[in-house]
Amino acid sequence: MKRAVIVAAGMTKFGEREATFRDLIAEAGKATFDSNKHILPKDIDGLVFSSVYPERSAFQGHPAPIAAETMGIKPTSLIARVECQCGSGTVAMRMGQMAIITGQADLVMCMGAEKVLIPVHEEIFLNAMAGGDREWETCFGLVPPAMFALCAQAHMQKYGTTEEQLARVAVKNHTHSMNNPNAHFQKGVTLEKVMNSKLIASPLKLFDCCPNTDGAAAVILASEERAKDLIKDPVYILGFGQTSLAATLANVEKDWSSWPGLKIAAEHAYKMAGITPGDVDVAEVHDCFTISEIVEYEELGFCKKGEGGSFIEEGKSDYGGEVVVNPSGGRIGMGHPFGATGIAQAVELFWQLRGKAGPRQVKDARFALAHTMSGMGVENHVAIYGRV
Amino acid sequence: MAEPYYIAMDPYPQQEKKFNKLYKFFDHLREGRFTTTKCKECGRVAWPPRTVCPDCVSDDLEWVNIGNIGKIYVYTVMVAGVPMGYKAPLVFALVDFPLGLRVLTPLVETAPEEVTVGAEVELVVQQISRDRVMPGFKLRRR
Repeated sequence: MKRAVIVAAGMTKFGEREATFRDLIAEAGKATFDSNKHILPKDIDGLVFSSVYPERSAFQGHPAPIAAETMGIKPTSLIARVECQCGSGTVAMRMGQMAIITGQADLVMCMGAEKVLIPVHEEIFLNAMAGGDREWETCFGLVPPAMFALCAQAHMQKYGTTEEQLARVAVKNHTHSMNNPNAHFQKGVTLEKVMNSKLIASPLKLFDCCPNTDGAAAVILASEERAKDLIKDPVYILGFGQTSLAATLANVEKDWSSWPGLKIAAEHAYKMAGITPGDVDVAEVHDCFTISEIVEYEELGFCKKGEGGSFIEEGKSDYGGEVVVNPSGGRIGMGHPFGATGIAQAVELFWQLRGKAGPRQVKDARFALAHTMSGMGVENHVAIYGRV
Repeated sequence: MAEPYYIAMDPYPQQEKKFNKLYKFFDHLREGRFTTTKCKECGRVAWPPRTVCPDCVSDDLEWVNIGNIGKIYVYTVMVAGVPMGYKAPLVFALVDFPLGLRVLTPLVETAPEEVTVGAEVELVVQQISRDRVMPGFKLRRR
């Protein structure tokens, strides 16, 4: 079997963008082609396009050919659109990788784009309902902050995790995004500011939540052999793991403080890559809410179950700690344009693993983990990238 | 004539026989019963109700009462960021029922500050539009 590598990567600035869905696609596509002058649109024979709800936010179904034409790509091997909610980008990476390692495509672009911000703010929240079990759960107005608040309540109830520990995740990730010009936020926040921010869904406050963000990101994949003419230090795709154990949130898990689906997905990804959690130097994980990152430390094996709160408190997920988590600022600091997120993680890790991450560089990073989650524990997607 | 509505703007399920094989759930609800399906082949009781059993793939199912009283496992009060068409505060809870089922439900007709973990809740039939109902729960008064 061939091995797949990343040979080009680029993204838009994330944030409140004066740009249409198509404008975002063009901007990320250009940044990606600009990152490797050996590749032109005519060379790309596969496109996997990740986007969650352009049907709702841009009244645009069937977005993959829109993206292809916008970038001058005419796929002759693979064309697909991925919609797996917040994890779509990681799934697109996996589809691209499978096309490369099986020899079904030569050069595949994996692109993600999302237009989230629309004129009526409450409609953004209405759109969020479409991704859950609409008939039995989200029709009641249930949206992600409340879903993850239930998880936070269960974790606090069982392990004594505190609101201050949650807030420390926000402080860390907003501090990281100060060094990321592509991030939605660059101002940083203090613990006091997070703790005193307005309540959204108890116990989660405004700064415990990722923002609503527009953005797009893309990478180009090739086989190890094909990459030799294109780049001297590619980033290898070493492993993937995925699970989906339920769709209706009530069925996700009896104990809402744990995500066994993530644990299994991570174990599969580590095994495929031949590494252990202790080998991971840098991780981009799905901090859609602060509680998520804390549960993820545990399920990814960075600390013991129930010790996620002290892991952040003791600085173990920051520079100088055991593993640098979300150097980009994560979903909380960089932003979370759903379809683009898993791809943007790959872009950040492409830079980190090649020593090109500027002031937020994690020193000597060799193995990197990326994780996205769809719904509250509904799907988990884990990718391992690295240098060899 | 059936109540007309735009399904892309209205998240509540269609509840008539014409559009929904599970219309009996809503008929039962109008009678004040909270029900789901049980597989006649393997006995699996599932939430939400099914048309095909997720364990043995039989389509020979019957309706059973879940029971109208459950117990709160965890809850949250959502005070901001609620979707278009909804009004804050919204209280959501994971509620456990005797059949071993858990349901994620809104708590209605309930003061958010009175909700506690472990409290018992009882069924409320919410009339959400002219012809349609949805289940909700409220704190049980003894």
